[in-house]
This record gives sequence, C-alpha cells and structure tokens, in this order.
Amino acid sequence: MSPTPPVLAAQARASAHLADARMAIELETPEMTLNIGPQHPSTHGVFRIVAEVDGEKLLKADPVLGYMHRGYEKLAEVRTYPQITTLVNRIDWLSGYCNEIPFILGVERLMGIEAPPRAQYIRTILSELARISTFLVFLGSYGIELGALTPFFHTMRDREKVLDLIEGVTGGRFHPNFNRVGGVKDDLPAGFIDATRQVMNTVEDICKDVETLLFGNDIFQQRTTGVGLIPLEKGLAYGMSGANIRASGCAVDVRRDEPYLVYDDLEFDVVMDDRCDSYARAWCRLQETLQSVRIVRQCLDRLPAGKIMAKVPRIIQVPPGEVYTRAENPLGELGYHIISRGGRIPYRVKVRTPSFSNVSVLPWLLKDVWMADVITILGSLYFILGDVDR
Amino acid sequence: MADESETKITFRRGAPVKPEKIKGLFTGLALTLRTMLSKNQVVQYPHEKEVPVPRARGVIGLNEDNCTACMLCARECPDWCIYIEGHKEKRPPRREGGKPRTVQILNRFDIDYGLCMYCGICVEVCPFDALHWSPEYEYSELKVANLLHDKERLGHWETTKPAQPGYEKGSEMKGAKK
Repeated sequence: MSPTPPVLAAQARASAHLADARMAIELETPEMTLNIGPQHPSTHGVFRIVAEVDGEKLLKADPVLGYMHRGYEKLAEVRTYPQITTLVNRIDWLSGYCNEIPFILGVERLMGIEAPPRAQYIRTILSELARISTFLVFLGSYGIELGALTPFFHTMRDREKVLDLIEGVTGGRFHPNFNRVGGVKDDLPAGFIDATRQVMNTVEDICKDVETLLFGNDIFQQRTTGVGLIPLEKGLAYGMSGANIRASGCAVDVRRDEPYLVYDDLEFDVVMDDRCDSYARAWCRLQETLQSVRIVRQCLDRLPAGKIMAKVPRIIQVPPGEVYTRAENPLGELGYHIISRGGRIPYRVKVRTPSFSNVSVLPWLLKDVWMADVITILGSLYFILGDVDR
Repeated sequence: MADESETKITFRRGAPVKPEKIKGLFTGLALTLRTMLSKNQVVQYPHEKEVPVPRARGVIGLNEDNCTACMLCARECPDWCIYIEGHKEKRPPRREGGKPRTVQILNRFDIDYGLCMYCGICVEVCPFDALHWSPEYEYSELKVANLLHDKERLGHWETTKPAQPGYEKGSEMKGAKK
C-alpha cells in the first residue's frame, strides 16, 4: 500500500474534527440533580436545595428545611416564662433583641400589666438598634454574594459599634435577655445617649456610602434588576412579610398598622417599592436602616424619666388565656401564639417566624432561572436559618 | 385618599441611584483613600486586648460567704447547669442561754460553662447577692470537662467583678444621680 499523501491525511483529520463537533452539537444535556448546600456561604445557615439543572438553567428547586431544628416550641413547654425569653433570643440570632418583644408583650397582655413609659422607650431604642445591626449584615453580605467585597468590611465595622451599644446596655451582644415581664432588667448606663447619637451618624454615613458604591454600581444593578420577580399576589399567597413584601408593592408594617411599644408616637416612613425584584428588596432594607436611625434619634430626644419596672409579683404566674402578639422583626412579621392554662409554665407557644414564610416561596420562585441568579435570589430574600427551623 | 396612614409611605420608582461609571470610580477611590488614612480599627487579639464593657456577661463569680445553698439559682436555671450540695451544721448560740444556731454550709457549687446559656437568671434570682457577673472571657479549655468551674474558681472570678458606672439621666434606679 502506498503511503497516504499528506493532503489527504489533513483532510481526514479535519473531517474527524468536524464529526466530533457535530457530536458535541447533537449531545443531549440530561437533567441533573444537584445539591446546593446543606452548607453554603450564601445561605446564612444550614440550608439545602435539591435542584434539577439543565446545563446552566435551574428547572426545579426543592428546599429541604430542618437542619437547624432545635425544638424551641417544645422546650418552651417545660420552662417558666422568664426562662423562655432566653430561648426566643436564639430563634433569629442576628436580631436577638427583637425576638423578645412580642413574647414579652404577649405575657404582659395575658397578665394585664403594662411596662412604664421609660421601659417602653428603652425597648424601642434597643429593638431598632438590633434592626440596624441586622440590616448592616445584609448590606455587607449581599455585596459579598454578588462579588463586591468592600461593603462587607465597612458595614461589619460599623455594625460592631452598634453591637457595642447593645452590649453596653444589656451585657450581651447577640443574646441580650434584657426584657422582663413588666419592664426591662436595667436602666441605660451613663453616656449611652451621646454614644448612640455618634453611632447613628456613623450608620447614616455608611448607608450613604453603600448607596453610592453598591446600589449605584452598574454590575450590581444588572445582576439584581429584574431577577427574582415576586408579584404581589404570589407574595401575599405565600404569606411573605417584611421588606420582601414591601418590595413587591404592599405597604404593610406592623409598627404602623398595629402599633406596639411607642411606635404610635414616632414619625417614620414605611418604605415601599413596586419593582418586585432583588434590587427592590435590597433597596427597601437600605432605606429602612435610615428610618431606624430616625426612630432611634426621636426616642433619644423623647426618653422620659421614671421607673423601668411595673409592679409584678415575684413569681410570674399567668392566668389562663390565649393571646397572639406580633411585631415587625427585621426579617418580617414575628408572632407568638401563647396558650396558658394558668401557672408558671405555658401550655403551648407557637412561633410564627417570618423567614419560614419567606422561604416557602422558593419552589415557585426558583423555576427556569440561571444558576448565577440563584444566589442573588436567595441573598435578597434574606432569611436566617435559625428563624426558618426554630 | 388623604387619610393619615397615607402620609407615612415612601413610594419610589426606578433606580434611585444612576450608575455613573467615571464618577463612580472616583467615589470608590475617595473612600479607599479615606479608609487608608483613617485609624486602624483591628485589635491584634493575643497581643492587645479589648476591654469589655462593665455590664458584659463574661463569667459568673460566686461570693461563697453569702451563699446559703438555698438552691434557687439551680432551680431557676433554664438548662440546669448549676450543681449545689450543702449540709446543715449547729453553731453555738449568739447569746448565752439561747438556742444553738443552724447554718447552711456549702460543700459543692459548680457551674458547667459547657452548658451555660449566659442568661443571668441565676444572678438575678439570688436573694443573698452571692452571684455576680464579671466580663472576663479567657477561660477556654481543651477538654469540655474542664469547663465545670468549682467554687474556688468561681470565687476567683468574683474578685474580677468591675465597678459599675452610674445611670443615664432620668433614671430612678438605686444609685442614680438625681
């Protein structure tokens, strides 16, 4: 056999390449099941999504909850009311103080006690500080999830100052356990008002920085605008609350609709947006941080003198009854359904956590989205896994 | 629709911040420069230490003389991490001819910091002021069992109890300036 001429050999190679290329075009991409999590840095806890992906497209997502289940509702059935406030601190660990408020208000309503005005103002100040610290985490970590590293360091630095304020009053940074039935544990320490005013100026500055650097960033806007659209009907149907539903064009805010503490006397705006996308949700939280600063300043101006504890019996015994109290947590509406059959221990405490309802929209929301957008959507819903699983 | 609830809503549409590429670049660089020239905020922990606030709940100290082994703290603790054992002893009467006194002697007072939630209920319920918070925080151990602090160790923490500053004006607490 004569050797193949080089021209023909080159032709053969080229045709083989072409055949390979045709194969690649005709290759089917079978659907693949992919586990996102249980541990992923963008999920703020232990969260798992079983996703069916077709290439880069996510066809179906099935969130699996329960990895952080600690059974607080059951634990509350064998503990006295003052002991339960230590448990509810740990439900949403970023805003431990806000979790105590509806529980304590519920117990007070059952017992027919009202905290003195100074205690109410201290409660309002601290819960707004907790709200600010939570939103500063969001503004920083949402940038990190989308690839912007700088805002994280700036917001975390200033959040530290807010946490120092909370620690200076309550003694704990994350788990204050500061509320008592009928008031608060201790009065504000000397120098608190001046320190808070300074920190509020810092928070306002960092919010302006984040607004120009992150929200004005072209990449950030393109990655978030129009991603994760939740129409108002869907959001309401899934029971979403907080900034997530306000970004879908529904101005609900328990602080204004059903005022508790001293929110009735304060002036603040309910921030609302109707763009329904991830950008709107992040933007609402940024504006709410500024509103919280406004509330804290008003409270500091109006802080009345007086006692911080009402007259309560030494042993807290709650008369039989049933109450549902709710409050505007940083993540949404947090409610406690307390059933008492008399005595020192509740019969049942049902916790309605905002994150659980906010996460329940995920199977509907994560359909036909690109993989890169999944993190954008998860981050913008901003749930805490301790709050989802309790 | 001019009712009161309507006045409390901020409603905005469209991007609040327009991305401006050249100006945005300089805004970012200005922030970098400002941060570079500002004071360093990082505390290099083992070499320099932050001083916790006086109210910080770091560790619980025990004043053994005040304790009467009444078990209130152990009963009120939400996770039952306090272990107390005591016994009664007869002491001679204060006055001659009186009845002999009975005193409670503390044999064991342990707090398991592996379980403790740092809620402070024990400090609050103590009727004899025997427990106090101290902001000390350096007591991590290689073995979990060593987190069980006995009464000698708790007595040492009691000596680190800081002086509390006063209260903010308008307070009616004991010791507040009028």
